[in-house]
This record gives sequence, structure tokens and C-alpha cells, in this order.
Amino acid sequence: MKKLLLLSAVTGLTCMLQAPASFALTGGISAEENAKLRAEYPMPSAEMLGDNCSACHGTNGAEFNEAMPPLAGMDKNNFIKLMKEYRENKFPSIVMHDVAHVFSDEEIEAMGDFFAKQKPEQWTRPDWNKSIKQHAEEHSHE
Amino acid sequence: MNKITRRDLIKLFGTTALSTGLMGASSLAFASKSAHIVIVGGGVGGAASAKYMRLLNPDVRITIVEPEPKYIFCPGSNEVVADFDTLESLTVDFNTLKSRYAVNIIQDRATEIDYAAKKLKLAKGDVLSYDKLIVSPGPDFKYDAVEGFSKQLAEGNFPAAWHAGPQTLVLRDQINALPQGGTVLITSPVDPYRCPPAPYERASFIANKLKTVNPTAKVIILDSKDDFIFHDVYLDYWEKMHGLGTPDARIEWISKKSGGHVTKLDTKNRTLTTANGQVHKGDVINIIPPEMAGSFVRMNGLSEGDWAPFNSKDFSTKRDKDVYIIGDSAAADPMPKTGYIASNQAKVVTKAIHAELTGKDIGTPFITNNCVALAADDWGMTVAETFRYAGNNKPFEESYIMSDPTKNPFYRHIRAEVAKNWQRTFRKDIYS
Repeated sequence: MKKLLLLSAVTGLTCMLQAPASFALTGGISAEENAKLRAEYPMPSAEMLGDNCSACHGTNGAEFNEAMPPLAGMDKNNFIKLMKEYRENKFPSIVMHDVAHVFSDEEIEAMGDFFAKQKPEQWTRPDWNKSIKQHAEEHSHE
Repeated sequence: MNKITRRDLIKLFGTTALSTGLMGASSLAFASKSAHIVIVGGGVGGAASAKYMRLLNPDVRITIVEPEPKYIFCPGSNEVVADFDTLESLTVDFNTLKSRYAVNIIQDRATEIDYAAKKLKLAKGDVLSYDKLIVSPGPDFKYDAVEGFSKQLAEGNFPAAWHAGPQTLVLRDQINALPQGGTVLITSPVDPYRCPPAPYERASFIANKLKTVNPTAKVIILDSKDDFIFHDVYLDYWEKMHGLGTPDARIEWISKKSGGHVTKLDTKNRTLTTANGQVHKGDVINIIPPEMAGSFVRMNGLSEGDWAPFNSKDFSTKRDKDVYIIGDSAAADPMPKTGYIASNQAKVVTKAIHAELTGKDIGTPFITNNCVALAADDWGMTVAETFRYAGNNKPFEESYIMSDPTKNPFYRHIRAEVAKNWQRTFRKDIYS
């Protein structure tokens, strides 16, 4: 037991020495407090969670022309696997670990569903304008 | 008594109400079929509200009331001050919102809410009736926090340049005309204010420019705070690039406890006086004033103290359940006052409104702020903040991870590219 503790202490130290020099500053509520709040209220909807991604990944995750990759139409299982790896800091990232660390498995799965359902086409979709205009026109004849 | 014309009725009720509501359709049918969502402000919060409302609901009528014909993004405006971007590239119009999302844009200033009648009065005399009113007018500045400073001076030779526009260009021109070895004074206000890292980003950009064109010039930040976001990253940058802490430092940061809090401006001698009586002379003086909720918010009884409180579940105001507050005017602490936050608040509000109109549960709100800042073109930093719902009468609970100084130039370079990428994707998300 003592040996094990010592080993983990050494491993911890090694990790600290080898970790990239970009140690981040963290703050606010702990992971446990996050989990407590998640348990206390219904899970935010998939749309609520997914729409938080649009500022970087485009509306409905459908920004295909920038460095940040599109999410629209992404395979659900790939999304889930990647997000969990970001969360655990197992997949190297610049920003995504910092974003992903707060999400539960269920939330990640809901977002995976949401983005898998989006058309993998650059936003705005060509038909969007037309459908709204049609609606507006029909509406004005009521 | 004034005679009510058909035109007046259209103003009051809109054409749909005139053709159905007045001909006997129930008011309930009117509300559920073509509710009128009126939005005060065409900035990030207002525009995001209009677009995301339309994405959810093709039937509602959406109107934005905005005094300006175009919107100039604040993210990117420090680049304009340092003369490596233009205001034109930050400017968007409302044509896409109009044509693609069938949003009605009224170029006017909203003045007064008639809560009982659910009507909004505009400066030119128009009156709009609303079912839901989303208020997102941005902040106002407390010019009088610094004795001798005023709105007129900010619009003249002492630009605050904290709302991207003409003042941004005046400040740019003053920096360009700075005498060799001159001094730029920048004041940084108490929290909360729009875009917390921006005073330090601005100071960095100006110092970077001076390094090449005016290397003996100096930037002094006079701060009303003892700490700020990305403090460690900026101090590290200033040490490495501008000799912070040496006699020849090109940049200096004076915290509140070191006497940085500015109380007085002397325009004749071009000096700022701080709380401990120190006098700083500046060839360029950029006072960034403290902020409060926009005047529309304060005049309509939506604010308590400087900001407008709201119910956390849906951002409806404490004053009226059909009036919502988002963006910089909201008392949203611990959320920072950023465009990113305003856009995500807009998504919560529009989901809540759509759920109510369609008789569904509005669900649990969730908000992130994944923001970026620069010290230089190749030196970026990021913060990822999450805000979890903790009850309708409680503030959201925050957790965050932000950049620390890194010895790895690739990390900060990639973060800088992320920052520039974000500026583009964000504009597209809101206005296209």
C-alpha cells in the first residue's frame, strides 16, 4: 500500500514535470458541484447545448470554411468518443478540453445526436430564405 | 381628441391584427398564430435574438428597433485603433436579417414601455404593440466617474472608443500622430464592463505599434482594479516584449492599490489625477469609463442599481414576465459582459419564448462563454466558461479554465489563430 502511494506520488510528479508548460488557470465550482447541479435540474435540451457551439463552429455546427471544424452531420459515435477524450484530456487540444470538461456522458450524447441530425452543408442553407419567404407570404393572406 | 387612422392602427397592431384580430378572430389565436416579438437593439444580443427566434418559429412577427443603420462589431476594434484593421471590415448591415429571416427593421430609438398595454413607444412617434419584448440595448457610460470628463469630450479629443465607431478612428489618428517619446494614458474601469480583457489587449496593440514607429514612446495603464482576466499572460507578454519592470519599459500597469484609480481629467494640461494625488501627463488620453445599463433600461424601471435583474430560468425581467433583458445591461454576474454571452442569452430567451408560444416546457438554460483575446497577431489566449442553472432566483454557477502564460510559442500562436477564426465565425453566426 505504502509502495503504491509512493508510486502514484512519483508518477504525479513526473506528470507535472512533463506536462506542457501551458498549465491553465481553473476556477468556479468544482466537478462535484457541477454534477450536483446537473442532478438537481432536468438536462438542458440537445438544442440548448448544441447552440452554445455555434459561435465557433457555425450555426447548427455548419461552418465549413474555417479552421474550427464543422460539427453538422458528424458521426454520432465519433463525436461522443472525441468529446469524452477531450473531457479526460486524453486527446491533445488547445481549447476543447477547457470546453468539454464540464459535460456529462448524457449531455455529450445529446449533442452528438443533435449534430448528427444537421445537414452537412454550409450555413446558410440555400432553401432557408425561400421557405421563410413562403411562410411570410402565406401568413399575410390569412 | 386625435382621430385614429388606419395607418395608426397598423402601427399599433400590425397588418395581420387588422385583417384578422379586428374582424373577430380571438386574441388568443392572434397570440399563438402570429405573436409579435419586438427587440430593442440591433447589436449582437438583438440580432442573435431575431435570427434564432426565426430558426425556431416561422410564424412569429419579428421587429428590431435600432437607431443606427448599420452595426459595427466591437470585437476587432482594438485592431482598428492600432491600424491593422478597418472599421469597414467590422461593419454589418441588417439586410440579411431582413431578407433571409423576414425580420422587420425600424431605424429609430425605443423610448418607453407601456407595460399594461404591451406597447413600445419610439422617438419619432411610432408605437409598436408586442407580445414579447426583448431588451438588448448595450451599456451606457458613467462619464462623470472621472471629474472633468464628459460625453462631449469623449466625442471630441478624448475618445473613450469603447463602442466601435468614430471614436475608434479618432484614437487611431491620435496614436499615429503621437510625438516621438510621447505618452499614451489608458484608464481601465471597475468591473463589470464590456469585454474584460480589452483594455489590456488595446494597450498591447498600441505598444506593439509604437515599438516599430515610435520606440521611445510609452503606454501607461491606470487601473481601477488590482486584477484582471489574463493578468498573468499580459504581464508575461509585456515583460518579454516591452521591458515591463525596467526603467525603459514601453508599457506600465498601475493597479488600484498602487494608485491607478483615476479621479480627475484636466483637459488644458492634458493630465489625469489618481486617487492618491499622483498626476500623469498624457499626449493621448483614453479614458474607458465605468458602465451601467443602457438608458432605455434605466428609464423604464428595469434596473436595480446599475443593472437589470432577471429570472434565471428565461431572462424575463423582474419587472414584467413578457419583457426580457439580455446583453451588457443585464445583472448577469458571474457572466462577463461579452458578445458571446449576449448571443447565448439570446438563444435561451428565444427558446423560452418559443416554448411558451407552443405550450411546451422551457427547459433548463445553459450558457457558455468561450472567448479569446490577443496580445499580438501571434500571441493569443482563451477562456472557456460554463454557466449552469442553479435556480430561478439565483445567479448561474460558473466554472472556467483559462490560458496561463506558456513557454510554448506554438500554443499561443494557435490560440491567436483561434481568436481570429472566432471573430469571423461569430460574426457569421449572428448576422448571416
